[in-house]
Amino acid sequence: MVRKKASKPSVSRKKADRGTGGRKKNVLITGVTGTLGSRLAEALYYDKNIGIVFGAALGSKPYYFNQFDTKRFVYKNLNILRSRDLTNLFLSSDFKEANVDTVVHLAFFNRVSRGKGKDSHDLNVAGTLNLLDKCIESGTVKKFIFKSSDVVYKIRPHNPIYLDENADLNFDPKVDPWIKDRVDSDMICQSKMDARGVNIVILRFSNIIGRMVSSQLNAYFDSPLVFRAMGFNPLINLIHMEDVVASIQAAIHKNVKGIFNIAGADTAPISTFAEINRSRMHSLPTPLLGPVNTVMRTLGLTKYYYSVDADRLRYSVLLDTRKAEKLLGFKPRSHVYFEGGGSA
Amino acid sequence: MDQKNRKRARTLTRLLAPEEYRRFQEIKINDLGFGYDPFGLEMESAMAAFALAKQVYKYWFRVESFGVEHVPQDGPVMITPNHSGAIPIDAVMLGVDLAIKMQKPRLMRAVVDNFAGFLPFINTFFYRCGQIIGARRNFEELLKQGEMVVVFPEGDKGTGKPYKDRYKPIPFNVGFMELSLLHRTPVVPAAVIGAEEQYPLMFNMKPLAKLLNFPYFPVTPLVLLFGPLGALPLPTKYSIYYGEALHFYRDYPPETVNAPEIIKKLVRTVQDRVEDLIARGLKNRKGVFGFSGFPFKGLRGQPEKKDLPRHERKQLQSQAGSGSAAD
Repeated sequence: MVRKKASKPSVSRKKADRGTGGRKKNVLITGVTGTLGSRLAEALYYDKNIGIVFGAALGSKPYYFNQFDTKRFVYKNLNILRSRDLTNLFLSSDFKEANVDTVVHLAFFNRVSRGKGKDSHDLNVAGTLNLLDKCIESGTVKKFIFKSSDVVYKIRPHNPIYLDENADLNFDPKVDPWIKDRVDSDMICQSKMDARGVNIVILRFSNIIGRMVSSQLNAYFDSPLVFRAMGFNPLINLIHMEDVVASIQAAIHKNVKGIFNIAGADTAPISTFAEINRSRMHSLPTPLLGPVNTVMRTLGLTKYYYSVDADRLRYSVLLDTRKAEKLLGFKPRSHVYFEGGGSA
Repeated sequence: MDQKNRKRARTLTRLLAPEEYRRFQEIKINDLGFGYDPFGLEMESAMAAFALAKQVYKYWFRVESFGVEHVPQDGPVMITPNHSGAIPIDAVMLGVDLAIKMQKPRLMRAVVDNFAGFLPFINTFFYRCGQIIGARRNFEELLKQGEMVVVFPEGDKGTGKPYKDRYKPIPFNVGFMELSLLHRTPVVPAAVIGAEEQYPLMFNMKPLAKLLNFPYFPVTPLVLLFGPLGALPLPTKYSIYYGEALHFYRDYPPETVNAPEIIKKLVRTVQDRVEDLIARGLKNRKGVFGFSGFPFKGLRGQPEKKDLPRHERKQLQSQAGSGSAAD
């Protein structure tokens, strides 16, 4: 189990002010009720360079948004799969008056759930397409930020040690639908990169670690007993939620477009993190990892799905973040803190 | 590395003399915060591997080397030796030699063939000891970091050469020269004598190699005769020769990479230097095992004259004419 460690925002205010053009940004966040969404909404609410924050998600307004002043934070119940809902939002008077110029798309089905394959595909792929089309049509939205991840990259042992933004994506037809959705949505955003009037920013994050975060590695380290492929001990990078929020803030403020790799401050072999987390780690021959994982899931001992990205337990994936450093001015500052053990 | 393995690694480092231990500790790595560099190098593992390899270096192959002063003490450098011996032990001996003999200790980073990345244990072992899988960008990254990189321009075909082709380097690949010009890196030609005979390769079992995803599967007479015991390399005497550093980048700008003919010519220059060093090494050595008078034909210190490339045969003939022929 992991939780955040107190840290400073990684993009200084001075740096963030540069590129804002002196005008406050008004931001729509989809999936605002998620862990990342609510953290981002809070960060933007207290950001002096942000005017109004529109939070959109499916369902009624959660209690934790009641602390925010309704003049600066507006919550909307929105189903991005329904075109009518989106049209209504974009045509609504408060949306128009707020002059929303930036959309951060976080509404994504992150948990690996076999029973809801169709639902998650609809939300992840069709939802992204609907929202992006609507933003381009609107004429008022100037920036669309999409949260992607490093699972879109093809993992091979002979990959360069640092994967840059042009590295091969995983177009393998046999790839798990969970990854396929991510590659598809990433590609949808890439295909519209040249849309007039809208700067599309794709942020590809390394493994996000934090309390209540739905990520594969979070689930992996939450298990009391973890297994790795015998004879392999790949390097992994973990990024703290604070850094994820800070990088999105940087993308909002900077006048940029394109794809950016975002990685965290902690890089080490998977066994080192397991040791810090005090997980009981054992090596198993690769063919046994799948069946053992299935048994563990059946017994409720883990929420990690080995079959989704099995290669990740064998080969290193590190991101080349030089572009983000140069153009976004982003450098990770927060270290992951493991409740079971200590700070990374 | 977990605590248990760390303790084991520290135990192994006791094999090193205090001076060697201190020298190794002087080597700095690009630590990402947990004792690992981006390529997975970890000094404790590297030291443990070095401690073991040092024993093989000293007692099994009895390595001697010449001209290590030609290897630059700082900055990026490429060392380009011949490659042979079925299993790349020549790379290990080269790494140990450089760590021991250089005035300022430097860690050798060798570029390993892609297939090693798929192999469990071996893949992790290579990474922890500082070796890298051969993606071009990895190579470039190391040069940018000012590392000393050993590249075998013959590639894996070099190690898979049959015994009859020993000391006949196959044409060098050109990639290293392009990177040398692009990153203004000196090239140090080198020759490893002794590795070619450690596993007298009879033939390559291609179907098995294909099945295991290996570039080749060597079969030696010793394996056929002695079974698993025959997998031990013969205790040939190694000698390593380093040539003078070649600074091609001083005369050729990076744009030269767009002129394949010039690149080929420069690569040929490096290969000629390596072949000269091989000829020198063969001439100087007393025998495959370090002493003369070994009874078996073909396992003597030098390959038969008819097996040598034409320019070497000419060289040997001229040396014979002047009364200085080897053996």
